[in-house]
Amino acid sequence: MRQREFEITIGPDGSVEVHVNGYKGKSCLEAVKLFEQIVGSVQEQRLTSEYYDPEEPVRNRIEQRSD
Amino acid sequence: MSCVCILTPVVIAAWPAFSAAVMAAASSLGYTLVEATQEAEEFALESKTVNRVDLEVPQSEVVLDTLHRDQRISVSREGVTVTFGRDARGKASLCVSGEGCTEAELRARGEELSRRFVQKYVYQRLMEEMRSRQFVVVEEETCDNHAIRLKVRHWES
Repeated sequence: MRQREFEITIGPDGSVEVHVNGYKGKSCLEAVKLFEQIVGSVQEQRLTSEYYDPEEPVRNRIEQRSD
Repeated sequence: MSCVCILTPVVIAAWPAFSAAVMAAASSLGYTLVEATQEAEEFALESKTVNRVDLEVPQSEVVLDTLHRDQRISVSREGVTVTFGRDARGKASLCVSGEGCTEAELRARGEELSRRFVQKYVYQRLMEEMRSRQFVVVEEETCDNHAIRLKVRHWES
């Protein structure tokens, strides 16, 4: 299980700043999209060094059934 | 932290969510709900001592259903009455009136309440969405500048 964390600040004027934690690579952009759907349009976006880290590996488990 | 984004809110609300946000904003600023009568509104329109300012909430849309058509909410504090409603273009609008107040004072009061309304709307919408996605709010605080800070966690397999 991977922990994801968002630090959200809703300003006195309703503008929203979201710090996205726990994602590596471009997957954090999916989180940004989620907040875009909920709140409104993205006015500014800053990428941090973690964004340029390798993407998280996708782990699949394949089971073979005999029936 | 992998990225930071700043979002400009868009208010698209049906009447129940709209009125809930109005009431949350109004009560946080010390306003109380008042019954806006037709006579009082006509008096405000015709009176020479009662000033009136009309404002609109930017980037807003109030979605009406047949049950809540033409509905409005009025709140009042220290002789200033603010009526929230929906204008002809469907935007959220405010009418601010008060006896003996200048237009600048009324505008300032209306803008303060309008900003707080947008903040409360965004807060309610975020909380509702976080709950529906089973995200957990682990911290919540209101800062001195009235900003609301939330820390939200969830786990992905």
